[in-house]
Amino acid sequence: MHGTAAMDVSGKSFWERLQSVDRRILYTLIFASVIIPILWPLHLPTPVTPESRAFFNAVDSLPSGSVVLFPFDFWPSTLPETEPMAVAGLRHCFRKNLRVVGLSNVGMGGPSIADRLLDSIGSEFHKTYGVDYVNLGYKANYSAVLLGMGSKIADIYPADHRGTRLDSIPLMRQVPNYDSVKFVLIVSDNAMTDYWVALVNARYGLPMVAGVTAIMAPKMLSYIQSHQLLGLLGGMKGAAEYEQLIDHSDKASRGMDAQSLIHFLIIAFIILGNFGFFMLRREQSQKGQN
Amino acid sequence: MPEWYSHPFFLLLPTAFFTLAIFSFLYKDNPMFKLAEHVFAGLSAGYYFGLIWQSVIRQQVWMPLTQDGQWSVLIPGVLGLLMFARFFPRIGWTTRLPLAFVIGSTAGIMFIQQLHGMVLPQVGRTLLPLDSLRNILIIVGVLTTLIYFYFSKPHTGTLGWIASVGIGFIMVAFGAHFGYTVMARVSLLIGRVQFLLVDWLGVAR
Repeated sequence: MHGTAAMDVSGKSFWERLQSVDRRILYTLIFASVIIPILWPLHLPTPVTPESRAFFNAVDSLPSGSVVLFPFDFWPSTLPETEPMAVAGLRHCFRKNLRVVGLSNVGMGGPSIADRLLDSIGSEFHKTYGVDYVNLGYKANYSAVLLGMGSKIADIYPADHRGTRLDSIPLMRQVPNYDSVKFVLIVSDNAMTDYWVALVNARYGLPMVAGVTAIMAPKMLSYIQSHQLLGLLGGMKGAAEYEQLIDHSDKASRGMDAQSLIHFLIIAFIILGNFGFFMLRREQSQKGQN
Repeated sequence: MPEWYSHPFFLLLPTAFFTLAIFSFLYKDNPMFKLAEHVFAGLSAGYYFGLIWQSVIRQQVWMPLTQDGQWSVLIPGVLGLLMFARFFPRIGWTTRLPLAFVIGSTAGIMFIQQLHGMVLPQVGRTLLPLDSLRNILIIVGVLTTLIYFYFSKPHTGTLGWIASVGIGFIMVAFGAHFGYTVMARVSLLIGRVQFLLVDWLGVAR
């Protein structure tokens, strides 16, 4: 494989070619790594992390009938990561007979996604809109929303997402402000988690957990360490772990085979690329000595 | 409605078309990708306008004013309208009033938020007893990383050695971020492929 013996027609050695693999080959391999396990599941294990277990335990320990604030703070573009978390979170809440107050600080799609998920998972558990759950919808200016709800929710949300006045909704008549809220379950793909932590947890002391996209997860771990968040779900893996914990496998669990396979592939290419780099350097230094 | 039309294949056909149109960019830029891009931009603008009209203007200004007689909502209402004064040169200066309010209130809220909600709790949880390997790692990691960002003295000798330890911690953090970023991007691809194979074509469960 060394020297001229390993040269191809383009004059590149094997080690050089290893470092400049055509991106179309990578695309094809990645695409195959996604399609194959979706068509033929491999059932690879997904170990549960302590942060996900803490998330589950925090929700599971809430007394029946507690009011949970459920911000759907994510855009439609991150649905593969955030939707499974929201679905699993709602299933867990409704199974525990917790009452859910949904809202969204993301205007683009957030309130519609909240409506769809609350209705579909609510109907799974025969829950009634306005009694067991409600969707407050979207209001502009997150800081005014988060702080204002501490005084009076109806000042910020005179009506719910469907336009019904809050004083006509049985659940909201019992929830005038944060004093009646037991817990916050955030699902977010943006800095809203920081604002919930810094504005609501710090000022009102409301306990909270967060399900966030994988990109955000490393930063959020610092809130776990400071006990500002009680639990954390990181990306599709976090959602799959939560699905395991609530014993209801769904989209995230089904996507984890592909996730693991692609990670193997990327690791393999990183190792091969580095190996090629060092071998080429060795080859060049040997040539220099000769 | 004809029965064939309610089949998921036909119901989800527009979504599948736009998904494939976006993916076609992987080959090269093309009219289908452009069409999907423009439809997305138009739909987003329309959705957002409708949402703001219903959720903010109607629910937070019109309803309190007409149903509850809350005249005080006129103050933020007028301030909001003044944002558009910049389109009229003679009264353009009035735009500064709502901007001054927004900047002032945001600065005040953010100052408290950062100090009370971020800096103090995070610093507090870094002042740990040196009684476990985990705590020692956290303290060494924080201090050496902070020293790496101290640029008033050349990073030579002991300072250089400490800073290089800090670089090690920063590299570990970068690695974790990179790994999680790969997972996030791959998740989006998996989500779309799941939609195409499971929801649309129904060839997998």
